Amino acid sequence: MRWIYRVCPVTGLKIDRQADLLIRAHGVAATVALLIGGIAAVLVLLTRWQAVHLLDAVWFYRVLTVHGMTMLIFFILFFEMAVLYFAGPVLLNCRVPAPRLGWAAFGLMVVGAVLAEWMMWTGRADVLLSSYVPLRAHPLYYLGIILFAVGALIVVLQFFASLVVAKRERTYEGSVPLITFGAATAAIIAVITLGHGAGIYIPTFLWSLGLMEVDPQIYRMVWWALGHSSQQINVAAMVSVWYLLGALTVGSVVLNEKISRTAFVLYVLFISMASAHHLLVDPGFGPAWKVVNTSYFMYMAVLASMLHGFTVPAGVEVGQRLRGFTQGLFGWIRRAPWGDPGFSSLVLSVVVFGFVGGITGVTIGTEQINIIAHNTLRVPGHFHATVVSGTAMAFMGLTYYLIPLIFRKKIAFWPLAKWQPYLFAGGMLIFSVFMSFAGGFAVPRRHWDITFSNAPFDLQFSPAVDLVMGVMAVGGLVAAVGGALYILITAWSVFFGEPIREGELSNGHVRSAAGAGESAAAIA
Amino acid sequence: MAMYGLPPGLVNPPRPLPEDDEESLPVSGRLGPAPGTLVLVLIFLAAFAVYYFANWKMLSFLWRIG
Repeated sequence: MRWIYRVCPVTGLKIDRQADLLIRAHGVAATVALLIGGIAAVLVLLTRWQAVHLLDAVWFYRVLTVHGMTMLIFFILFFEMAVLYFAGPVLLNCRVPAPRLGWAAFGLMVVGAVLAEWMMWTGRADVLLSSYVPLRAHPLYYLGIILFAVGALIVVLQFFASLVVAKRERTYEGSVPLITFGAATAAIIAVITLGHGAGIYIPTFLWSLGLMEVDPQIYRMVWWALGHSSQQINVAAMVSVWYLLGALTVGSVVLNEKISRTAFVLYVLFISMASAHHLLVDPGFGPAWKVVNTSYFMYMAVLASMLHGFTVPAGVEVGQRLRGFTQGLFGWIRRAPWGDPGFSSLVLSVVVFGFVGGITGVTIGTEQINIIAHNTLRVPGHFHATVVSGTAMAFMGLTYYLIPLIFRKKIAFWPLAKWQPYLFAGGMLIFSVFMSFAGGFAVPRRHWDITFSNAPFDLQFSPAVDLVMGVMAVGGLVAAVGGALYILITAWSVFFGEPIREGELSNGHVRSAAGAGESAAAIA
Repeated sequence: MAMYGLPPGLVNPPRPLPEDDEESLPVSGRLGPAPGTLVLVLIFLAAFAVYYFANWKMLSFLWRIG
């Protein structure tokens, strides 16, 4: 079959037509998922805000299920599949190994997601994201997730195949770019994750049909090997995007290739064990198992994040200093392009992920401290700082570059696009911090009514909780406005945006994140 | 140069660096080539230590010894 490609005017890379189209399709699907999950988020928020308390109990848990599944699984994985096509065939300058299989995989993911959404919205899967057995959903819900996971697994295998094709056809020189290396670690973790997903969702599907039994404790253990590891795909993909955005926006350098690559490998080796911190109050596991996994092995994955948390901003700083921004300690950051939504997204993602998500995560993942945080709002306060302010923010920043590079459209509502990262990250910062505060007052997570009205017992929280929850809600609404702006800007740009004319994009020479001395061609 | 609707990194990409720029890394005294980042990292570690030990203190209110 003849290879159809175009040459990117910025990078000179040959961009496979099928990779181009697959990235577009996955990007659009991710944005649709973000819209659905975002609407659900606002409904959940306005119910948890006790002064509003919008939904009744049944719809609250239904919409919370939709929010968790659509955001954490569908939005994130659709976007990550787009990242894999970008980090594989595009960055490696090669063809998509099996385009038809790629479209079949995309079809499976869409069918699976639609099936699961249908089951959730029609009240046949009010089981929350974790769907703990013996909570039972309709068999089609589990089938939908299985189909989605199979599709995602095919895309991951396609990414590995593109590494082989690129190597065999010698489309790049030396080692693969650091961004592709990072994406490869995300793909390896995805295989581990999807393996566990098959290991638990297939038996649960059969259980929902009445064909077998599933032990609740075994379910929790295997499910979290899926549930937590899936978030580590996000982390590895997000860090890869950090390096990419740094290189594209300010020409950041990689301080030490070996350290950055070793940190990625640490994710692969140790991140699955961190899943154990979800089971710290489970009676079925001994303290030694819990402590070894969460207070020893998990810290090796934390070390990896701390290494990246240093090397990414340090790479930006050195890149800036080498270009003459040498004034004082922070002249390099003052003179950075803060009006570039790609750059502001990068910085906000690194800062909120590290300072809020990282610090709270390591602390409440400690076995002893977990006992005062488990199942309180401190937990979602932590993971909204990591997955939303970190991963989603980085992905949003990347979108502002993918739309011109892949869709070849200008960003619509440009002044709004420059403000969008600040609005979204600022709102999420307030939301996450005050959610954690509320958890500090022992306000439970996943709870419809913390006044416990009509309950057989009485429980009073500190009066401060009302204020804290109110501020949390305001922060959440600000973030929702930021998220809605992102959807408006990206959808308008893609479908109604002004095409980029010949010669408007310059021949870039962004320094490569692949290593010293290479040109932009290795990045994008 | 800025252009409406296009990120600056695409229309005015960062100036390319020479091949041997590792040797020209600007080193500011004892803080190494990235002194600003090092200060930010120290702030991060301080915040981490304060939050971590505050949590142990909170735990000690609940689990009193003796």
